[in-house]
Parts: sequence; structure tokens; C-alpha cells
Amino acid sequence: MKKIVLIIPFILTLIISSFLLFYLLQNKDPKKPPSALLNEDVPKIKIPDLFDEKKFLTNIEFNDKLILVNFFASWCAPCKVEHPLFFKIKKDHPNLFIIGVDYKDPKNDALDYLKKDGNPYDFVGYDKQGLIGLEFGVFGLPETFLINKKGKIIYKHLGPLDKKIIENDIYPLLN
Amino acid sequence: MISLVGFANLLFSFLIGLIIFFSYFFNNKNKISRTYYNLVFFKFFFIIVSFLTLIYAYVVSDFSNQNVFENSHSDKPILYKITGTWGNHEGSMLLWLLIMSSYTLFFTFNKNLKDNIKKLTITFQTSLFLLFAVFVILTSNPFLINSINFEEGMGLNPILQDPALAVHPPILYIGYVGFSLILSLALAGLTFKQIDYEWMNTAKKLTLFCWSMLTGGIALGSYWAYYELGWGGWWFWDPVENVSLMPWIAGLALVHSLMITKKEKLLIRWIVFLSILCFSLSIFGTFLVRSGILTSVHSFATDSARGIFILIIFLVSTGFSFILFIFKTDDSEEKLKLLFINKSTALVFNNIVMIIACLTILLGTIYPIVIEVITNKRISVGAPYFNSTALPILLPGFLLMSIAPALSWQNNKLPKYKSYIFVFIALSLLSFIIVYLNTFNVWGFIGISLGLIIIFSSLLSVYFNYKKFGLRNFISHNNALLAHIGVGILILGITTSSVYKSEFSETFMINEKKQINNYSYTLLKLETNQDSNFQELVAVFSLYKDNKKIAEIKPSKRYYNVSKMITTEAGIYHSWFQDFYVIIGNEKDKIWSVKIYQNPLVSLIWIGVIIMVLSGFLGIRKV
Repeated sequence: MKKIVLIIPFILTLIISSFLLFYLLQNKDPKKPPSALLNEDVPKIKIPDLFDEKKFLTNIEFNDKLILVNFFASWCAPCKVEHPLFFKIKKDHPNLFIIGVDYKDPKNDALDYLKKDGNPYDFVGYDKQGLIGLEFGVFGLPETFLINKKGKIIYKHLGPLDKKIIENDIYPLLN
Repeated sequence: MISLVGFANLLFSFLIGLIIFFSYFFNNKNKISRTYYNLVFFKFFFIIVSFLTLIYAYVVSDFSNQNVFENSHSDKPILYKITGTWGNHEGSMLLWLLIMSSYTLFFTFNKNLKDNIKKLTITFQTSLFLLFAVFVILTSNPFLINSINFEEGMGLNPILQDPALAVHPPILYIGYVGFSLILSLALAGLTFKQIDYEWMNTAKKLTLFCWSMLTGGIALGSYWAYYELGWGGWWFWDPVENVSLMPWIAGLALVHSLMITKKEKLLIRWIVFLSILCFSLSIFGTFLVRSGILTSVHSFATDSARGIFILIIFLVSTGFSFILFIFKTDDSEEKLKLLFINKSTALVFNNIVMIIACLTILLGTIYPIVIEVITNKRISVGAPYFNSTALPILLPGFLLMSIAPALSWQNNKLPKYKSYIFVFIALSLLSFIIVYLNTFNVWGFIGISLGLIIIFSSLLSVYFNYKKFGLRNFISHNNALLAHIGVGILILGITTSSVYKSEFSETFMINEKKQINNYSYTLLKLETNQDSNFQELVAVFSLYKDNKKIAEIKPSKRYYNVSKMITTEAGIYHSWFQDFYVIIGNEKDKIWSVKIYQNPLVSLIWIGVIIMVLSGFLGIRKV
């Protein structure tokens, strides 16, 4: 009888641990900071084109398109890591409009970067002073937003994307 | 380069840890050689060099180190460069290892325990160290090198650039990690079935020390939240706070249980259980915070690999301990001497109350996870749950606390019980009148009367002790009472500051004077300051009582250039009876929105905690 009482703590430890393990393995992304912008309209913005600063992209072009906005910079190491994945996304979902926003970067560095690693984006914006990032509430680079056809932000990811995130979190939203 | 030195030292320390661990199985288990002690020393030596190396990398802003790059900046004041070392996940885990090794080193100086116990304790402690060292090396290495050269770092989160928060993690960790040594000691005692007077004595000193440090650490964090977060409160039932509260309560139960066994060598089983529980809850808390499973004020960079790793550490150490607990526990039947109301009864009761409170908090903390696993919805359990469950559970314990130290071990009598009853009735009446004259509130009444009863009946006991023993061994006779007086003061502070807090949202123009709750405030001017690391906008308020100026209050907003963050710094004037707490908001057309809190007697919280910690340290000296 006494032994049974002694076993309880061990059993409880096992139950709690397996619960938590199960939770972790479900791969819920706990670091998802609930963005203030989630389910909100895209902020009113006007993004200059990196290749030609006289050209702009404005909200009007956001209409009726599924849009992925990715903030990156040439000085950001994790951005380099996720960069090739955008080619994959483009290949898997050709209709998705992918915007890259170069964030607080010397222009030439950014151009070099895209030349060297390739340009997967449909449009590359230039956010020299970080003002566009401010509108989106960018925490740190890289950061990626998904905007639905109604112009609402439906998903946000902080940090580099990986295959798992793309396949589990982003692709379901695209279909 | 410097990172490499740091990492090499970390590895050396790990290797020596391995040697210490395996040598246990190949050497005489009952004798400790000089070499063995030297190994313990060198394990400590290498880890401290490793840690100093990291500090050095921070001080010279070596951005080739990824950890420094991510958490520091060359314009930061030197103090915050140093404290930035442990202001992030990787650095703080290295600190964890350092503290663990320091405890092992200090433990080797213990002269009272037998060699076999000592050796096994060190072995257990080293195996814990090894588990955490593998964790640091594989998932949280602070010595990773950047592949690209950076000229500048990303900066430390500005709200962490604060003196209270600079010392908060080390002090907290000294508490948390210290519980690991208590666990090792308990496991060693359990294995050899040698839980004797010396063991109790060592465990008691150690527990008092860790618990006092943990108390201080939690209080510092809470004080920081009070003036830095600008929410006017000091406790938010944030997951990270709950997580620190659980080992704290378990530690408190352990301290009290160790008191019982000094007189009657019983309850050993229970003590071993609590010893295991304290550190298990510490690891469990670390897991919840670092895996990022719960979102809280403390946002560490998290990933699930780390989470799984800490979970494994938790499972291995706690699981192993509880298995040992099943098989090695002594089955001897000795009945506790429980009378209707003697000291043992009171202490047992106290332990039950604390464990229930601990479980309640545990339940509230992990409930959102359970719900999310089952229903896939995220909910949050907040202050209302904890206030309406944990507090009522603790109440009877608090009530008992006022007389428990005066109870006898042997018989059913409370000496001079009439005086205590008088104190009880008189103070209950008094608090009823006080509360009735203000706004009547049940919690206000309960809290104030409890606080007063605890303080005055403890003082009464001090007086009786003085009459009985004079000043001889004054501290050792009255130390427990001192701690309880601290708790009484704390309860008074908690009650008044939360029940009678008043909160006002106002707008001010420059030179405008407003009457708020018997005081008037004027916004005199706005100043801007330039610091090396931030720009500051300071609003200068004058506080008047009956047209007499009593203080200037300077809330501010800071803009940190590097992290591009704006922080709000509360302006606080601490008077004897209340805190005047002002936060400045946004401006529109030269009108500033301002939030004002008047928090009565909030200082009592910190005074109470200081007394409790002080009494904890005095207790170590006493035994």
C-alpha cells in the first residue's frame, strides 16, 4: 500500500512529460508573436522599387492577389538561409505574388546580393530607412507576411522560413 | 578567437565532469582523495574561465561572436555590456553551469558529512552538470562564430537595461540551481539510507540559503516589473512568475519540514520528496520558459529542439529521482506525534497547504497547454483564476502562522493562550473598523486583519521569549518569528496596494494643475535628455498636498537608437504611506495623456521581503 503512494510522483512526472512532449511534437509554433496586424488590412504604403527608385508599388496593386511579403537585407545571415526557399515557393505556387522588401541596406549591397543569390521576387522594394518595416511592425529580420485577396494580413512569421513551416503553415493558407 | 578559448574551456570543464562521474564507479566509494577534490576545482576553474571569456567578448564588443552580435552593441554602457552576458538564453545557461559548479566546489568544503555521502552527492551533482552542459554545447552554445563580419551588434532589449534586472538573473539562479545540490544530497542520503542529524543540518542550511536567494531574486524581478513595465502593478501571474513561485513554495515547505525533523527524526520520506520536487520544479519552469511553450514577459529566443532537450533533462533527472525514491525509501513505521494542536501538527498542516497551493498554480499554468492539445484552441489563464484559488488555499496557513512558532512540540498547550486570543479579537475588530471607515471590501478586511494578527502575535511571542530567556540566544529563539513578521508586513502591503489602489487617466497641458484624490499635480515642463544610448523625453510633474509642494515626479519616455524601441519609464515618488506613480502617454495638440496610480503602502511589500530574506540568512548562521 505504502509503495503505491510512492509511485504517484513518478507516474505524474511521466504523464506531464508525455503531454508536453506531445505538444512539442505537434510543432505548434509557440514563438508566433500574435502580430497586432494579424487579420487587419495591409497598412497604407508606397514602396519604391529597388531597381528604379522612381517607380513605386502601392496598395492598389495588392487587390485580388495573394501576396507574400518578405523583409530581408544583405547583411542578414538568416535571410541568406531562407532565400533559396522563395524559388521553391514560386515554383510550387506561380500565382503567388512575392514581394521582397530590402530593409535598411546600402543599395549596392542589396543589388549585389540579388545578383549573386538570384532574385525570386516579383517585386523588390527598397526600404532605406525602415519606414515600411515600421508600418508592418517588423521585429527583426527576416520577417514574412501573407496577405489574402481582400488585402488582409492572414499570417506572419518571424525568423527564417524552413521547408516545414512553408509546407505546414503557408501552403494550406494558399489553397 | 576569444570565442574559441571560451568554448574550449567549456569543453574541458565537461570532460573533467565526465572523469569525475565515471571515477565514482572505479574508485573506493567511501573515500575521497585529494585528486578528486582537485578535479572538482578544475571543473569549476574551466567553467569560470569560459564564462569570463564570454563577459570579455561582451566588454570588448567582439561581434564575431554571434551571441554578442545578437545581444549587445558598442554604444551600450559598460555595466549593461557585462550584464548583457546573462540577459539572453545562451549566456544565462552558461551562468547556470557556472553556478552549478560553484555549488559543487563549495560543497567539497563541508566537513560534517561522511565521505560516502559527499562523494555520491558530488557524483549526482556532476551528472546533472553534464546533462546541462550537453544541452548548452548542442543547442545553446554562446560561443558560435558569425560567418559574416559585422561592425555593429543588434543591441540589448532596452527594458533589460536596468540595474535591478542586471542582478536579478544571477540571484534567481543561485536559488534555482542551488536546489540541484539539495536534490543530489537527498538522493545520496536516500541511496545510503543515511539521513541523519548531519544530513539534516547541511540540507537545512542549504535550503535556507537557496530559498532566501530565490526570494530576493523573485522580489527584484517583481520590483523591476513595478517601475519598468508601467502597469502600476508588481505581480501579474505571468507564467514566468508562476514558474518561479512553484519551487519557491516547495522550498518553503522544505524549510519548514526540516524544522520538524530537527526535533523528531521523522518525515524523512516527505523531506526527500520535497527535495526532489524543488529542483524538478526549477527544471520544469526552465522548460516552460525556454521552450517558449508559454508566452510571457520573458521572451527568450526559443526553438522546440531546446524544449525537447530540457524536457529530456527533466524526465531523466526527475524520473530517476522518483524511481530511486520508490525503491530506496525506508518503510519504517514511526507515527508522527500529532496532537490536536502542537508544533508538528501545525507544520504538517502548513506543508499540506503549501503543496496544494503549489499544485493549484501548476494546474493554472499548464492548463492552457492541455486545452490547446485537446481542443486546438489557445486560451489564457490569468490573475482571476489564481486570485480566487491560490489565495483562499493559503489563508488558513497564514492564520496558523500567527501562533505556530509559539506552539509546543510535546503537548497540546499554547502558553498564555489568552493573550493570543485577545490579540486576535482586538486586531480583527480594529481592522474591521479601519476597513469600514474606508471603502468596505472583504479581501481588504481579511488581508489587513491577517497581516496585523501575524505581526502582533509574533511580537507577543518575541516578548514572551524575551521574558523567558532574556537576550541569550535572542536571534535563535526569535528568528522564525522575525520571518513571520516579514510575511505579515508583506500581506499588509499586498492587500492595501491591490485593494486600495486608485487609478486615474488624465490629460495635462503644460502648467495645468489638476486635483486628483486629495493631491494636486501640475505638469511643469518637458525636458529632453541625450544619453549615449537613448534620447529621453522627461515630463516634470509637481505634486502638492494642500497647496504645499511635496515632491517632483519625473516620468519619461526613452527612445533607444539601436533597437529603435520606445520604453516608458514610470515616475515614482515613494512617500511613507503611499507611492505616487505617474506614466506619461501620448501627446495630441499639446495635450498629454497621463496615467496616475496611487498605491498605498506598497513599500511594505519590499520591506516584508527584505525581512524574510534577512531572517533566512540569520537562520543559516543559527544552525
